[in-house]
Amino acid sequence: MFEIEIFTKEGFKDSRGEHVLSEISGLEIKEITKVDYAPVYIIDADINKTEAKTIASELLIDKITEKFEISSNSGSRKSKNSVIEVLYKKGVTDTVSESVIKAIKDLGITKEVKVKAGHKYYLHGNISKTALDKIAIKLLANTLVQEYKIK
Amino acid sequence: MKKVKALILKTAGINCDYETQTAFELCGAAADVVHVNSLVEKKDKIFEYDILAFPGGFSYGDDIASGKILANEIKNKLGDKVKKFSLSGKPVIGICNGFQVLVKMGLLPDPELFEQISTLSYNDSDKFECRWTYLKTEKKVRNESSCIWTKNLPDVITLPVAHGEGKFISVNDKLLEELNKNNQIVFRYSTKDGKIPKYPLTPNGSVEQIAGICNTKGNVFGLMPHPERHVLALQHPAREGFDGEHGWGKIIFQNAVDFVK
Repeated sequence: MFEIEIFTKEGFKDSRGEHVLSEISGLEIKEITKVDYAPVYIIDADINKTEAKTIASELLIDKITEKFEISSNSGSRKSKNSVIEVLYKKGVTDTVSESVIKAIKDLGITKEVKVKAGHKYYLHGNISKTALDKIAIKLLANTLVQEYKIK
Repeated sequence: MKKVKALILKTAGINCDYETQTAFELCGAAADVVHVNSLVEKKDKIFEYDILAFPGGFSYGDDIASGKILANEIKNKLGDKVKKFSLSGKPVIGICNGFQVLVKMGLLPDPELFEQISTLSYNDSDKFECRWTYLKTEKKVRNESSCIWTKNLPDVITLPVAHGEGKFISVNDKLLEELNKNNQIVFRYSTKDGKIPKYPLTPNGSVEQIAGICNTKGNVFGLMPHPERHVLALQHPAREGFDGEHGWGKIIFQNAVDFVK
């Protein structure tokens, strides 16, 4: 299993991160100074790291503005910041994942692949668990169909 | 005289195919909407056509990034055919999502290189921007661009935009210099009198207000605004256009049809 996170390269605008930061200030939470947004794709398949890198570099990133990080066995990269991860709940149709599976086949990788697509938000600043829950529930996750984890 | 034939490529999520077809038909062409799977089954069918169009929409739900999945699909399954078609000098257009596809598969700005060297990224506002915009036509200003699609246009025209990822970014400053030097930047967002605009008239934060580019030969053209949504003056809220009946977009499609004739 590989977890692939997509980050905005240095020098390019992370519009989603900036937008979330602006919305957090609207919740009157002042402790957060920056938000980095990273789409995340969890690939469950009998593929090696080279194939995972191909999927990331050829399909999941925009070569001009984005870079990727891969971790195996669902171990996320370590961060000193608070991280909120949002994924669909089990049983909810994940249309992005279905598109990614189709696109992986288009790359010529024909093995059976399962994908979960989600979002990670890296929040810079000291903040309480209560405030993180508030941000997740009010802004980042539709808890009817999505679940969130605070890391 | 043989009728000019345009191929309008569609797939799941494309929603401007019929408007694009109508635009070409209005200009005297015979236009077929063809699903990408049909073309993959009969790849050489592409060469039965004189014009290739990648219409707007939300291919594959804009999943991963706008145009990305369709760009990969076309490059992997039809890449050599699409490249050959483009290098033959026949007109190719990508509108909005189609422009994103052309840029992300690398057919623009250099179909010979056929590698992604620029992108259309998220709007600075992080929102879907939908409005009428003014476009400065570089062709008219310098009268040097070889773009076959943008001849006979006035200094400034209006066309509508509707996109979430339209911010043009080049891989480096050198490419941007080359695009400028070769007059490949054919449309820039502008004010009504052709000056540099501010948001919301520049809807996405594009580098140098770029709204549309072509290859050096001038036959492959991509733009974020929708010319097919302004082929009739009636489509404009104030009924603007030319000759009292048609919109500026018609000139763009007519240029390609006349070029083939």
